Amino acid sequence: MILRRVQYEAAARAVGPFLAALDDWRQRRRKRPARESPFAPPLESLRALKDMMMVHYLSGRYADGAVPVAWVTSGFPVEMLRTLGYHTVYPENHAAICGVQRIVPALSDAVEAQGYSRDLCSYVRSDLGSLDTGRSPVGRLPRPDLLACCTNICQTVLYWYRDLARRFDVPLVLIDTPFIYGEPAPHQTRYVVDQLEEAIVVSERVAKRPLDREAFSETVRLSREGSDLWGQCLDTARNRPAPWTGVDGFFHLGPVVALRGTEACNAYYRTLLDELKDRVSRGIGGLKGEERHRLLWDNLPVWYATREITTLLGSQGFNFVCTTYTNAWAEASSLIDPANPMESGARSYSQIMLNRDLPNKLRLLERLSREFAVDGAVLHSDRSCKPYSIGQIDLKDRLARDLGIRTLLLEADHNDPRSWASELAANRIGAFMESFS
Amino acid sequence: MTREPYIRRQRDEHGRKSVAVLPVHYPKELLTALDLLAVEVWGPPGAPRSDAAGRIQAYVCSVVRNALAFLASGGADVVDAALFPHTCDSIQQLATLASDFGGWKKPTLTFLHPKDPGRPSARRFLVAELHALAGRLEALAGRRLDPERLTAAIALHDEIDLHRAALLDGRATLPLDDRALYALLRRGEWLWPEEHLAELQAARAKLGTGRPAASIPVLVTGYVPEPSAILEILNGAGAFVAADDYAAVGRRVVRDRRAPATDPWEALADRQLAAPPCPTRVADQGPRMRHLEGLAERSGARGVLVHVVKFCEPELFDVPAIRRTFEARGIPLLYLEGELEAQLSGQAVTRIEAFVEMISGAGGAA
Ligand code: SF4
Ligand code: SF4
Repeated sequence: MILRRVQYEAAARAVGPFLAALDDWRQRRRKRPARESPFAPPLESLRALKDMMMVHYLSGRYADGAVPVAWVTSGFPVEMLRTLGYHTVYPENHAAICGVQRIVPALSDAVEAQGYSRDLCSYVRSDLGSLDTGRSPVGRLPRPDLLACCTNICQTVLYWYRDLARRFDVPLVLIDTPFIYGEPAPHQTRYVVDQLEEAIVVSERVAKRPLDREAFSETVRLSREGSDLWGQCLDTARNRPAPWTGVDGFFHLGPVVALRGTEACNAYYRTLLDELKDRVSRGIGGLKGEERHRLLWDNLPVWYATREITTLLGSQGFNFVCTTYTNAWAEASSLIDPANPMESGARSYSQIMLNRDLPNKLRLLERLSREFAVDGAVLHSDRSCKPYSIGQIDLKDRLARDLGIRTLLLEADHNDPRSWASELAANRIGAFMESFS
Repeated sequence: MTREPYIRRQRDEHGRKSVAVLPVHYPKELLTALDLLAVEVWGPPGAPRSDAAGRIQAYVCSVVRNALAFLASGGADVVDAALFPHTCDSIQQLATLASDFGGWKKPTLTFLHPKDPGRPSARRFLVAELHALAGRLEALAGRRLDPERLTAAIALHDEIDLHRAALLDGRATLPLDDRALYALLRRGEWLWPEEHLAELQAARAKLGTGRPAASIPVLVTGYVPEPSAILEILNGAGAFVAADDYAAVGRRVVRDRRAPATDPWEALADRQLAAPPCPTRVADQGPRMRHLEGLAERSGARGVLVHVVKFCEPELFDVPAIRRTFEARGIPLLYLEGELEAQLSGQAVTRIEAFVEMISGAGGAA
């Protein structure tokens, strides 16, 4: 236990940062021929982001046995776990890394052979496949002591975590957030508060220490500040030209998803925000050339084809300046009040977009469209994610009708490239771009 | 009599309003106590009734796509409201899509049953949610809910379940084919409960008087027995449904015979929680597997038919566990996926026939 703790701390504080610095140095020395690309040079902060995530995953390899480890869904109110000293792992984030590396078909094949359907969410298939095959782009994930699941993004996560609980034979804490039609009823908020209390009891037992309520308030404050800083970063894209692309946002999302509630996360976003503001003041855009059209992206990224899609669009001066996906984390803990973390946390985590009705989503799409002055929207119809995708056909029509913007419904799967028809997508995107002329 | 004239007759003769109810679990007792007729909408099967199905992507289950098409085509205009239980992500989205963006203009009711219902918080929430739904139903019915009537409704549905359980459990001694049995059981989806009870009582009198013509017992688990031709094919091949775990049928039969709590709300919550394990309520797989094993054991099933709707996540997530469970017991399993089509494909028919042939040989060991 002590040795393990030493390894964990060393990985987090010394080895990880050293390896990250070494990697940076190597990258800088390597003189790669500049890739033909429509994008402006990458943000300087990207290096810090990579370092941070590398250290997070590297230290994770030594976390089990050193500190309590929790596997957590992206929308879980993580602040309590953070305060109790858990090392948190986000299987969705890890699955996305598998998606970017295009190893999902192999991982999925492994679980399909056991009877898991290819129609199940590809994040689930990626994660379970990684467990079964031992393949992971990050080496290995630490074994969980606790599974923490919140249904505010979908019900799928509960099936997924229930499966994980069976595999690892560890407790599963659940925050079941009633879907909100209109406004939340008091008994629904009460239910979430009750579950938060229940979750704390289990999390304390597993961590073998009580929750320090003062420290908890401080984590909540940090979490809220992190969401706020992330929101400010996103807002810089209201400028014309936007200082980055929405796709950059997909990758810079890592800390607010995986490290929300830490000072390191917030420090990172302060640096990023400074850099983005600096770009704005100097008129530097995310695209090398003129930003002719500004687009909104709805739904998860197509992780394995993000570059393909954006390059195609970027080369014609189309830039994604906002996405509903990245915006979700600007909202995650935005309503939490450090003075009343339970009640306000229950409200905040229940009210994220995927847990609310379609008029709420339409209002969000319209607000983003107006505030970011977009003239087009691409709605990724994601066969893996039904809660995000059902309703998009109507939403697309309303955006076109009410705001007069051009819209494209693009069929794909966020993580499984077997559902991606590159040529067909290129044709559809091409036709979409032509409609602007 | 088909549903629509029946609904009209209920209104004309008894002054009863009616509520279209989407799958799966809901507190029907509340509707009965308020003199509201529940009419369940399982798709309906067959081709979508209008173009509105095209407003939902083709990778979403046909139950939800057909339901939107049905509602939007005016198929349910005869009823007074629609109730959407929180069954899955897809129905949840359908509720807002149809009500907020077109397809359903009358009142929309929702019922959010808690997931992982064993926790104290879940029970408290369930009771509160039952009260909230009751309030909306009272407004629809135009009357207050009388606690005594609620107690009586609970007793009525308890009795219905008693008969349904008897018919399902004594299936091997009932001289009916599966299509007739399921037609009877599924009329409970829209008949006034007392009428359904009378039919069940009549059928129960036939228990022990014969056998189904087919002789190979199988356990069926899945969502809904549609297309119903599946039952004919099964019987024609020589097998019959000896144990049922369809979400639409057996998974809603409460077998808990404990004396009900004196407070009707607590009794109602108990009934909700006592239903067999169902993935749409995200019950743990352990109890569900034990339940299925029990069904197979008691019925002497020689094979298991897993019959799910394509793209149905709740059902699909349990399939690997079901496979493991019956593989360990050496009981052969056939997996069938459908889309509420009007007829079974030739390939599906051949697979069912080959499966029955396989389990009918030498004790059915695979
Ligand atoms: S991609 Fe969609 S279905 Fe899959 S875990 Fe995320 S929210 Fe749930
Ligand atoms: S078939 Fe499955 S996915 Fe479709 S409505 Fe029913 S439970 Fe939901």
